[in-house]
Amino acid sequence: MKALVLTGGAGRALVPFSATRPKAMTVVAGGSLLRRTLAYLREAGITDVTIVLGQHGHVVENAFGDGSGLGLNLSYVRQESAQGIADAILRARDKFTVAEYFVLVYGDVVTSSNPFLLLLQSFNTFKSPIAGVCLPGPPTARYGNVYLSGTRITKIVEKPRAAGLGNYVLSGMFVLPTELFSWVEEAGRDMERVFDRLTAGVGVHASIWEEGWIDVEYPWDVLAANRLVMDTWEEAQISRHATLDNNVTIVGPVRVEAGSTIRAGAVLAGPCYIGRDCYVGNNVLVRSYSSLGPGSTVGYGVELKNCVVFGRARIGRLSFIGDSVVGEEVDIGSGTMTVNETMDRQPIGVNILGSRVDSGLKKLGAFIGDRAKIGAGNTLAAGTIVDAGAVIEHHTTVPRAE
Amino acid sequence: MCGISGVASFHPIHDRLYEGVHQLEYRGYDSCGVAFVENRHIEVRKDVGTVDEVDSRTNLRNLAARVGIAHTRWATHGKVTRENAHPHLSCDGAFAVVHNGIIANYRVLRERLQHAGHRFRSETDTETIAHLVEDHHRRTGDVESAWVATLRELEGSYALAMISVHDPDRIYCARQESPLIIGVGTDSNYVGSDFNAFIEYTKNAVILDDGEYGIVSQDSYAIKRVRDGEVVEKPVMVIPWDSELSRKGGYPHFMLKEIHEQPQAARAALAIENNAFRDLVEEMAQARRIYLIGVGTTYYVALYGQYLFAELADVAVLPVSSDEFRYLDKSDPDTVVLAISQSGETYDTLMSLRHAKERGAKTAAIVNVVGSSIARLVDYAILQGSGPEVCVVSTKAALAQMVLLTRLAIELGGVRGKLAANVRDEAYTALRRLPEEIEALLNERSGLIRAAAYRHAHMRNWLFLGRGIYYPIALESALKMKEVTYLHVEGMPGGFLKHGTLSLVDENLYTLVFVPPRDSGELYTLTVSCVEEVRARAGYVIGLAFDPAPGLFDEAVPLQASHWLTAPLLPLVAAQLLAYFTATALKRNVDKPRSLAKSVTVA
Repeated sequence: MKALVLTGGAGRALVPFSATRPKAMTVVAGGSLLRRTLAYLREAGITDVTIVLGQHGHVVENAFGDGSGLGLNLSYVRQESAQGIADAILRARDKFTVAEYFVLVYGDVVTSSNPFLLLLQSFNTFKSPIAGVCLPGPPTARYGNVYLSGTRITKIVEKPRAAGLGNYVLSGMFVLPTELFSWVEEAGRDMERVFDRLTAGVGVHASIWEEGWIDVEYPWDVLAANRLVMDTWEEAQISRHATLDNNVTIVGPVRVEAGSTIRAGAVLAGPCYIGRDCYVGNNVLVRSYSSLGPGSTVGYGVELKNCVVFGRARIGRLSFIGDSVVGEEVDIGSGTMTVNETMDRQPIGVNILGSRVDSGLKKLGAFIGDRAKIGAGNTLAAGTIVDAGAVIEHHTTVPRAE
Repeated sequence: MCGISGVASFHPIHDRLYEGVHQLEYRGYDSCGVAFVENRHIEVRKDVGTVDEVDSRTNLRNLAARVGIAHTRWATHGKVTRENAHPHLSCDGAFAVVHNGIIANYRVLRERLQHAGHRFRSETDTETIAHLVEDHHRRTGDVESAWVATLRELEGSYALAMISVHDPDRIYCARQESPLIIGVGTDSNYVGSDFNAFIEYTKNAVILDDGEYGIVSQDSYAIKRVRDGEVVEKPVMVIPWDSELSRKGGYPHFMLKEIHEQPQAARAALAIENNAFRDLVEEMAQARRIYLIGVGTTYYVALYGQYLFAELADVAVLPVSSDEFRYLDKSDPDTVVLAISQSGETYDTLMSLRHAKERGAKTAAIVNVVGSSIARLVDYAILQGSGPEVCVVSTKAALAQMVLLTRLAIELGGVRGKLAANVRDEAYTALRRLPEEIEALLNERSGLIRAAAYRHAHMRNWLFLGRGIYYPIALESALKMKEVTYLHVEGMPGGFLKHGTLSLVDENLYTLVFVPPRDSGELYTLTVSCVEEVRARAGYVIGLAFDPAPGLFDEAVPLQASHWLTAPLLPLVAAQLLAYFTATALKRNVDKPRSLAKSVTVA
């Protein structure tokens, strides 16, 4: 069976990262969402994968190429502007021959373990279209409501869920017949009508996912997804090609990849992740749920707490990065502080595309876009967004004598 | 639903057929058997019982033959007898057939074959197929053409496998609307109703489609179309999952699967004809004493029944836990003992029934497994038809039993003249709405309950409170919760609080309250006073409530019911979900909790 992975959505709410990368290339627990999805597909025996690329699609191509590094045969289809799921599906039509089933995956979903084993199992049980469904954490208005009778889906209500409803929702993975391509066209590219036709016609069975599932929409969802993955780690894994000084403290499921150096006095409290070729200076405190991407340098005495650093970042000495997400190649000057709570300890609101969205979190730091530069001594307020490539000068309070 | 397994191998079968049907037992079992070719002769070993029981009597293992087929049967109607068990032989014993499905035109075929001199040993439609192949083979002299000629005559649904002394190295199989799969191994090939039949031996499989038949030998297989004999080329697929996963049909656990099968289980319980109760109800109407017995979950089902019989039939029945029954049994010929058992094999319940029978009591049972010891022992057996229940923790079977007790109480009320016709109609209308109400709850509340379960999974001590008929519901829910989460959960009547338990209440004990509808009068107000007693002592209260009053609980899962008679079953389902999600949050072994077995057949 082949798979079609959609990564073309604009993901505009995922500021500031959507400005430079597709949502599927957001990093959690040391790897992008898409890398996890592809590895899961491979594990489920699916090797032919077509990826629909949207804006910044080159980031995907640069990361995975022809897929041989993952044991996959990857091909790409371009969807230059985000025109929705129906359009994305139709663009991949040529890659699929008639009269077969294929796996359709939305690229912005994170699960705590491989969801495709269960999905394919459901397909083999029913030999009919399958839609993955799950129960998201706290009910929100973000998803359509699925109604089941047994495992058969009787209807999908695409409107926001009414208050007090706790339905299963589509988890963004399907097994569908290739006839779907014609149906999408016949339905005027309206996915809701396509699903209506499927549920009323041949019928769609639900594959019920009970484990963790997060659809990354807002920047703080990255932290939740990171936590979801790290919570599945049970033991420490230190590469034999990592260098650890004397007096490095390791507690719990800590992962350190090859080529990294951890200096004396550092404390790594798991679950946490140190990617390849990182430098972690003396007396650095890496607290749980921190993910430090490959090629990063962390100076003396830095504290990392519940944060995701995509990779190749430089974090200057005596900084605190907590409840924050830091993009690729970000340069943070020494003594930078991400404030992660408000004085009144209330849930923190974040400015998303001009309107304030309540994160529901009482502790939230900053979201720093790819290749931003933050000068030394800056203090970032809780919920700050720093745009990709932005430059914030050093914070100096004592003027130089002229 | 039945299971088919088959092996054609270079090596002796040993226990592969046994393992195959063993893995298919989840599809249900009341009898099973194997057939294999040895020295130009087909030997059949079959009997009533589980695969292990039949094995201990007839030896399904240590088979030296290299080709064989096997079957496990789950009768939904019809008798469970050795004769009706598969495989079935033709008159001359040269063909053995196993079958899933229903041959619609078997009566016509059977009559024709009987006219032609064929002698039938069983009442099954399957046996017809064996005779039909023999009949065609007499004319054609070729097994394959006889097989095809047979398939062309069959109407209905089937998955079939056949062996023959005339072609002793091959298994013939076919599929029409019932699944059949060929397993491709290195030195053996397999057939099965699903992957589980052979997944221990090979993960390579070819799936037959409707209208196709297969010929499987030790080193090859061919798939052809029945219509024109054309060979069909099919890809070999690799099964990447483990065998247990593949039986769960879209669900992560059997427990969730069976919770979701409850609307169907309730429908099946409602579809049973009133005739099935009539004699038992007459017997109960005349009895001086009625015991309801069960143990564990089924004891709580019996307690639930006690309230129904009091309310609907104006009869005081005595619920007794089966393991205690021998100390209390005062049975005499004017006594009816009604037992409740999913498996029909529960040791304590079986012994209690025998005890009562010896004392002259009339016995009856509500059971799920056809042909089980209890079903065969009692004077009146009501088969609940809930389908196989695999998870050790009983959900759908218990709910169906409660529905059946409701029906019995209604009928008894009618016979005793205690229930007006309009009340009876209203009660049945309410029952018929129940499956939809459960479905609505599963659809619209699962997310709320899962979120609550994950939020509170750290809490190690729970109190489940209910009053009136909600009391047995609280007990049963508490049992579900402790079985599957390993947490300490106590079910008790709300009235007990101030007689002792209240001293336990503090912030380290959560309370789940089963709240009746707000129009239940005193039952509601007394339940609410329990809530207030607990909250006044810093206890955290979660309400499973219909239209919960704002501010009454620390949190509530809002439920919807249309009638007082079926309302208690909705918080039961909600509590099953709470137990399930709490268990998954705590990463428990949901389907096989530690130390527990599905059917307790020892004292």
